[in-house]
Amino acid sequence: MKKIIALLLCAMTFFLFGCGSDSKTADKGDEQVLNLFSWADNFSPEVLADFEKKYHCKINYDVFANNEELLAKIQAGGSRYDVIQPSDYMVATMKKLDLLEPLDKSKMPNTANLIKSLQTPAYDPDGKYSVVYTWGVTGIVYNPKHVKKAPTSWADLWNPEDKGRISLLNDNREVIGMALKKNGYSVNSKDKAQLETAVKDLRLLAPNVLAFDTDTIKQKFIANEAWIGQMWSGDASFTHKDNPDIAFVIPKEGAVIWADTFAIPKGAKHKELAEKFINYMYDPKVSAKNYEYIGYNDPNEKSESYHSDAYNKDPMLKAARDYITKGEWIEDIGDTLTQYDRYWTELKTGK
Amino acid sequence: MNKNGKLLIAPSLAWLSIFFVIPMLIVVAVSFASRTTYGQVVFNWTLDNYIRFVEPLYISIFIQTLVVALITTVITILMGYPLAYMIAQLPKKWQQPGLILCMIPFWINFLIRSYAWVIILRTQGVLNTLLLKAGIIDMPIQMLYNEGAVMLGMVYALLPFMILPIYVSIEQLDRRLLEAASDLGAGPFTAFRKITLPLTMPGVAAGTILVFISSLGMFVVPDVMGGAKSALVGNLIQNQFLSARDWPFGASLSIVLAVLSLVLIILYYKAIQAQKGGERDAAKDVA
Repeated sequence: MKKIIALLLCAMTFFLFGCGSDSKTADKGDEQVLNLFSWADNFSPEVLADFEKKYHCKINYDVFANNEELLAKIQAGGSRYDVIQPSDYMVATMKKLDLLEPLDKSKMPNTANLIKSLQTPAYDPDGKYSVVYTWGVTGIVYNPKHVKKAPTSWADLWNPEDKGRISLLNDNREVIGMALKKNGYSVNSKDKAQLETAVKDLRLLAPNVLAFDTDTIKQKFIANEAWIGQMWSGDASFTHKDNPDIAFVIPKEGAVIWADTFAIPKGAKHKELAEKFINYMYDPKVSAKNYEYIGYNDPNEKSESYHSDAYNKDPMLKAARDYITKGEWIEDIGDTLTQYDRYWTELKTGK
Repeated sequence: MNKNGKLLIAPSLAWLSIFFVIPMLIVVAVSFASRTTYGQVVFNWTLDNYIRFVEPLYISIFIQTLVVALITTVITILMGYPLAYMIAQLPKKWQQPGLILCMIPFWINFLIRSYAWVIILRTQGVLNTLLLKAGIIDMPIQMLYNEGAVMLGMVYALLPFMILPIYVSIEQLDRRLLEAASDLGAGPFTAFRKITLPLTMPGVAAGTILVFISSLGMFVVPDVMGGAKSALVGNLIQNQFLSARDWPFGASLSIVLAVLSLVLIILYYKAIQAQKGGERDAAKDVA
């Protein structure tokens, strides 16, 4: 009996030790590790490999699926990571919770290449804690084969002819924000009367909706299941490549602009390397290579000449670029979020 | 228990207490906490989350979830019992392959299988194309993103959990009882009703609990196949953690769900026991 237990213990120590030594190899010698915590498939693998080669380091790429997961992990101990990629409103939240390291832009001169209006976004007004990485605008995507009259307004989603073919993002801020915009209000409204008006409209729209979807919405348009709906400009560009019928428009009432950013969490162990990494990503040539791969809007002002013609002329990306100074950012609304969630639950239950 | 026995169960006890009991206690604790403006959990021991749950909005979601779970369970019994019965009647060498066929879907991640259903059922999907080509329909049917699709997904996902326990109980059935019944003049139907069905009820009970509990917490199917249009408890809880940033309310909903499941299981077992007792009495009366 004792022999068996001893054997088990041996096996366990070996297992633990094995794991321990595994992570050590990455830190061996003077080769540093950059612990990157980001969205899945958010970089050109080639660009990451180039960085590893140039700075003799190894990138440890961990993924999260949504901002709340990121927040929970950073609150549990952010120093495990050196670079994180919170979205716009999450930057504001993390800043208020004192989870972010102020950025020393003098060590990241390339970040000056950022499009001017993206250097001072509402969620981080002096750009002290974050740098925009991917960005886009939420507009209307539609299929002119089925939607005869080109939409110009959010109100066009309410057209009864498209019943059962309308898709909305599965996100309470985007959907309620859209209905607020339709009525001429801010997407960050905390006013009860304004919210009631927006939700009243959505109650009429909900029965016509095909699906609420964020992750696989592209496939629904490629397969002609959905004819009209909300979509991010980058996803619209992706969909357009597979289904050339698809068109994209930014409605006249205005739209949400959003961004995923680079930030350094408090207590990051390889801060210098993190700064080098962020700086590297805004080198115009690197930017061009990277965003050609991701297919989203490039926030780098100097990279246009390095991009392919197809990328520069992409109608969806261009629509977003032309709208860049006019979009409204989704901001952290604090306690009102609970109210949004309640409206959202009501909409889903048909109440 | 002797010393060696204690040592032997120590690892599993440690495992359970570290990875099951402690997280469970944390969930209980969080359910009595509240959230700050930025979603941090503050332990101020309040009943607010449970009071909030009693609102008609949330009660109606629970009722809706119970109804869906109940329908799923009934359908899986109606489909699973004959299938399990059939597998148990196969020649011995075909029984294992039959069971393996029921298990094969588990080799592939459930999320991926849900998307496979989307490809089959969507308007330009496999099924609609077949029906169109065969001339059975002339317009694609909207089969996805409705309650029927959610039902289908649930039954599909949970059917094996019903088949396996029923199969085991049918397989263990003493065939001599059926021969005796036939000798005493009972027709196949009477024999099934008086012998097979009562004796395989434990299998049905086990399957019912597995299916019912699993369907209460399901949130992938309503999201992927239902187009996220309906809110079941699973989705409501998911939202509290992933978008509303309200962990205490999410935790209290989870606790309510767990307690509700437990109460239903106990009631169900009691009912089955009572029924068994009744049958035994009836048998005595006949004798």
